[in-house]
Amino acid sequence: MNKELEHSFVTQIEENQNIVHKICRLYTNDSEAHNDLFQEITIQLWRAYPKFRGDSKFSTWMYRVALNTAITLYRKSKRTIKTQDFEGVSFKISSEPYDDTTEQQLKLMYRAVKDLNDIDKALVFLYLEDKNYKEISETLGISEVNARVKMNRIKGKLKNILNP
Amino acid sequence: MDELELLKKQWQSREQDLPHLSFNDIYKMLLKRSSSIVKWIFYISIAEIIFWTILSFLVPESNTKFNNDIGINNTLIVVNILNYSVFGVFIYLFYKNYRKISITDSVKELMQNILRARKTVKYFVIYNVTATALLLICVNFYYYLNQDIVFKYMVEDFGLSNVTQERFMSMFFLSQILIGTVLIVLILLFYRIIYGILMKRLYKNYKELEKIEL
Repeated sequence: MNKELEHSFVTQIEENQNIVHKICRLYTNDSEAHNDLFQEITIQLWRAYPKFRGDSKFSTWMYRVALNTAITLYRKSKRTIKTQDFEGVSFKISSEPYDDTTEQQLKLMYRAVKDLNDIDKALVFLYLEDKNYKEISETLGISEVNARVKMNRIKGKLKNILNP
Repeated sequence: MDELELLKKQWQSREQDLPHLSFNDIYKMLLKRSSSIVKWIFYISIAEIIFWTILSFLVPESNTKFNNDIGINNTLIVVNILNYSVFGVFIYLFYKNYRKISITDSVKELMQNILRARKTVKYFVIYNVTATALLLICVNFYYYLNQDIVFKYMVEDFGLSNVTQERFMSMFFLSQILIGTVLIVLILLFYRIIYGILMKRLYKNYKELEKIEL
């Protein structure tokens, strides 16, 4: 009976899994935690799937549920996100040759983003995903104005971290 | 905010080094629901022991006195201790099952663990029903052998009068059988509903896993 539902669900997750992986990477620090969060998000998505009516794109819905899961899970366990293995994150540049300074800047920026609180991080994540403010506000359930104000504040915060 | 723009650019070109999971990997995650079912079994077993403990405090004083007079109170205490120990072992086993299921990631192992969890529950139910039935039978058998004392203390402790011993004893055993049967039926019904539902779900997951394994 729900065999078909399961099949279509898993297929859609498989197609859109990059979204979840990126969230996991941003919210966790090692591969074990990454896998745990991925699984938790998958289960939450599956639970919420019957309510997904297709009036928004699957990926939009996925952003919302996945981020919510990452945020609540993060809150529940009160894990402090430290970026110990940050050095392991590589910024190999394939297309354009950046110099060392650029690479260094990127690393610092990434670290600063990872150190943000869970909600700010969700906002930056959507920004990095090239979502416009309307999409960001819909995904996070805040007003467009609020999203804009928040994003500006976060930009200031990041600036402060990078150039103290 | 140049750095953020830079990161954004990088962010989008980094997709290829993300891990990739297959259809089956993701499908398996859905079946991990088994672990939450087994977790519930563990919780319910704890709730059950708490329930029985609370119930034992509600037994009226006259009943304890009667058991004491008739000389089975100490035996009942020993039986109780034994029962709690067995219960404790089962709770530990349920916990172990839960831990095991939540950390396995191979389908085959998960299937084995589901089977083990189901088996533990089955033994738990068999133990509980048999132990209750056995206790009821033994106590009543003892009553039967010591009818005179039972009647004497019944009159003393519960203030009975105007009944002949013969008439009282036949009424007494009749009600014992009736209450005992109702009790066992209730226990069976309880297990049938609570564990029956959980077992069914576990079995369904097991069947699905079987399909992946093939």
